[in-house]
Amino acid sequence: MVGVPEATDHNGAVISVAPTFVLVAIGAPVVAGLATLLMPRGRTALRVLLATCGPLASLLFLGAHLWRYGVASNEEGTTAIEWVPSVHLDLGFLVDGLATFFALLVAGVGVLIVLYARAYFGDDGPSLARFFPTLGFFTSSMLGVVLADHLLLTVLFWEATSVSSFFLIGWDREDDNAVKQAMQAFVTTGLGGLSLLGGVLLLGDATDTWRWSELVAGAAGIGSGGTVVAAFILIFIGAASKSAQWPFHYWLPGAMLAPTPVSAFLHSATMVKAGVFLLGRLLPVFGLLSIWLPVVVAFGAVTMLLGAVLALRQHDLKLIFAYTTVSQLGLFTCMYGLGGAANGHGGAAIDWDLSQIASHALYKAPLFLVAGALAHRVGARRLPELFGLWRRRVPGARLLVVVLLAAGYALAGGPGTVNFVAKELFFGAVHHAAGSHPLLVVVAVMAVLTAMCNVAIAVRLTATVFGWRTGVDDEGIEPVIESHVHDRWGSLLWLPAAGLVALQYVGGLVPPLWNSAFRRIEVNANDVAFADGLPWLWEPFLHPGVPLAMSVAAIVLGVALGCSSRWRGEVADVHDRIYPASYRLVLRRGHRAFHMFQTGRLRNYLVLMFSMLLLSISWAAWIDPSMLRLPDGVAPFESLTGLLLGAVVCAAAIALPLVTERVVRVMVLGASGFAVVGLYLVYQAPDLALTQLMFEIISVILFLLVLRLLPRLDRRPRISPVPRLVFAALIGITIGWMTLLAGHAAEQRNGDAASLGEFFEEHSLEGSELTNGRGGEGRNIVNVILVDFRGFDTLGEITVLATAALGVWSMLPGRRRHEDDQGDASGQATPVVEVGS
Amino acid sequence: MRIDSLILRTAVRLVLPLTLLFAVYAAIKGHNGPGGGFIAGLITAVGLCTYRMAFGQRAFFRLLPTHPRWLVFAGLSVAAGVAVIPLLRGDPLLRSGSTTLHLGGEGLHLVSAMAFDLGVLLVVVGVAIGMITRLGEELDP
Repeated sequence: MVGVPEATDHNGAVISVAPTFVLVAIGAPVVAGLATLLMPRGRTALRVLLATCGPLASLLFLGAHLWRYGVASNEEGTTAIEWVPSVHLDLGFLVDGLATFFALLVAGVGVLIVLYARAYFGDDGPSLARFFPTLGFFTSSMLGVVLADHLLLTVLFWEATSVSSFFLIGWDREDDNAVKQAMQAFVTTGLGGLSLLGGVLLLGDATDTWRWSELVAGAAGIGSGGTVVAAFILIFIGAASKSAQWPFHYWLPGAMLAPTPVSAFLHSATMVKAGVFLLGRLLPVFGLLSIWLPVVVAFGAVTMLLGAVLALRQHDLKLIFAYTTVSQLGLFTCMYGLGGAANGHGGAAIDWDLSQIASHALYKAPLFLVAGALAHRVGARRLPELFGLWRRRVPGARLLVVVLLAAGYALAGGPGTVNFVAKELFFGAVHHAAGSHPLLVVVAVMAVLTAMCNVAIAVRLTATVFGWRTGVDDEGIEPVIESHVHDRWGSLLWLPAAGLVALQYVGGLVPPLWNSAFRRIEVNANDVAFADGLPWLWEPFLHPGVPLAMSVAAIVLGVALGCSSRWRGEVADVHDRIYPASYRLVLRRGHRAFHMFQTGRLRNYLVLMFSMLLLSISWAAWIDPSMLRLPDGVAPFESLTGLLLGAVVCAAAIALPLVTERVVRVMVLGASGFAVVGLYLVYQAPDLALTQLMFEIISVILFLLVLRLLPRLDRRPRISPVPRLVFAALIGITIGWMTLLAGHAAEQRNGDAASLGEFFEEHSLEGSELTNGRGGEGRNIVNVILVDFRGFDTLGEITVLATAALGVWSMLPGRRRHEDDQGDASGQATPVVEVGS
Repeated sequence: MRIDSLILRTAVRLVLPLTLLFAVYAAIKGHNGPGGGFIAGLITAVGLCTYRMAFGQRAFFRLLPTHPRWLVFAGLSVAAGVAVIPLLRGDPLLRSGSTTLHLGGEGLHLVSAMAFDLGVLLVVVGVAIGMITRLGEELDP
């Protein structure tokens, strides 16, 4: 199934990738997750172990791939399996630096989340049993998003992340609010996904390339036509909704109702990073568009500042971190936006973007994990409740506080962490880009303010847990400290967080280690100052510049703001109203539209349907006036018997509305039907005659049965008979005329006009080149048409029949099963069927 | 909806086997002569309905011990199966295949569309009987 991968050549240049490795890496989490369902109940350890194997296998395979094949350039994709080549959808993968980094991040954090989930959910068997398959599904979809090379494959996995995250966010099915928030996240990101699909289709259609690798390779020739710009905007909306950019950011804090492992996973390393990833993919494709810089930077910058300000004004730990995530996502969007600007040295104003993203994951995941652990161990997640936590004697709390503060210091971007350098990198990019685009000075100011807010949050966090005067305290609310019983898995509550945050400091204090890991996968290293990677701690101070000044300003202002009493209370985000308001609007309008058409009256439905039929046929006749001419070869007076029978049919039709008794009507209808049987016989169609005969019998029986169940018809219709008669006559004439035309329809082919009848006569037994050499292999033309030529229609018709029968059975539930227990059947309500006459 | 008549009962007893036989004939013959799955299904349904009229509900249930929905289910499955199988060979949906069976004498030409026809037959029988018996139950439980 997989081609033999080509090895690297001796210079170490990358030639190709191994699709098997990638396929295994993507599939492992969901397979392992589903396999946990097979584990016997109660064997939690086994379950956790198996679930860990999934992302671990992904990690190992991706690592092995990196070690064996290195990093592909972003112009080399590979196809593992041809899936639907006709719609440009194959299982093709692109394992360049960007994809490798994101995949490793997802898999790595995924392993830790599985372990943490065990400690978080405790021994709650059913919850864990449900959790691991869902998490595996999500992890696999996320890996698929970042590794896919085909545009549509990306969209497919993208939607899969939306679906699986819906399950994860609405984890607590009993909690209505959680389910509502999950819906909100799903609808928002799902609509974004539709936009992405639209953009991708436009892009693929405009450029006729359906793979990211080819798009990157041909980026120069992509042009800046209207279609390409529209595609970019649509794709950007998709990325923005996923990455919670303003004004779509409301779903992210709402999704905080998810269990903490989910929040930590979704908001540090995965879900929301999908949009950032997509921007990274798009940068080489669309980066040269003149619209890229203003649009991406503007939305990013607004989100960045808005998120930071809102984060400062929250009291719930998870909400604080949610809004800082929003802010940070804005920063990343901004960062990729700046990639469309020049840095004044002949390169783009973007440096070591992957390090910046990794840095965020390495402090944000621990923050979430600790917030969950605190809620678990201390029973408190709100700042006032955590006031003075350090001095309280809560077992294990001090350890959590240490990790929290270490991660908080990284959030503030304090010197010694990777995040300090990451901030420097971003400030540097803004500074450089502002050189050529003066308006970007505004963004620089916004960046400083954002950093200031982050510092203030860290300061406030510290002051609160130590119980200092500047901390957040609501006048001595004594929180209820629940003492949890911990098993030996309890240490998993803080170990993953501690491990992740330790990397922040390792990378910050010993940059060569970090650089050796990241040098191979970083594509964007344009600034000379950072050509070798992250600098040693002291280097920025030895060569001070504008970025360092911005950092210092942010820290000084941040500490001041954190210690002051300004902006201390909680505020709600006004954007939280967007979704409920639009939801209500849709419901109300939809309700009205629904009732406009679904009146519950059969008569209205019939009028609507027949009007559409009349309209469409009139339209067709208007386009092709030859439809109004009597077709050739019609000989109406050929057979006297036929004429007489036709007269009977007509007489029955005219008599129908004149009789009032329903049973008589059925009889009259039957008379017309049996006259048609005679017509078939006259014109030598025994098949049809037989069918019609049987059908008439059955339908008369059915009619009589149904009519006896109907209420008496004592109400006269309000509409006068004249318009109804006219309408009915119109329908009758039109349909009759169409039948006449259809019977004589001729097909012009190669100069020979052959009527449909002749065509089927010729081809029902043996084929010709007209039917690709295939015939129906039968002599009964009618039957061959039914089961062969129009077999698909027949399949549809029997499905409709079956559905109608299902309707009868479900609307009139059977009594046969009541026979045994002799339950009283008379209690059943008589079905009410309203029919118009 | 039972008609208590000795004449009808006696007649139905004689006619029903013939009706069913004729339905089988119509179904098999259908691809080359007058007949077909749809007609055969209707013939079967008419025959069974007459039986029900003559002998009543209970006798009918003894004759057809399952719920008619199983007939519908089986019919749709057969038809859908015949429709889908060509996909496995890479052919388009519903592409028919044929084979000739030699049992001595003249070969019997079998077309896969006949299996499709069988599905149609089952659905038609199931739907017609199901609706009629169900509505009949409503009238005289």
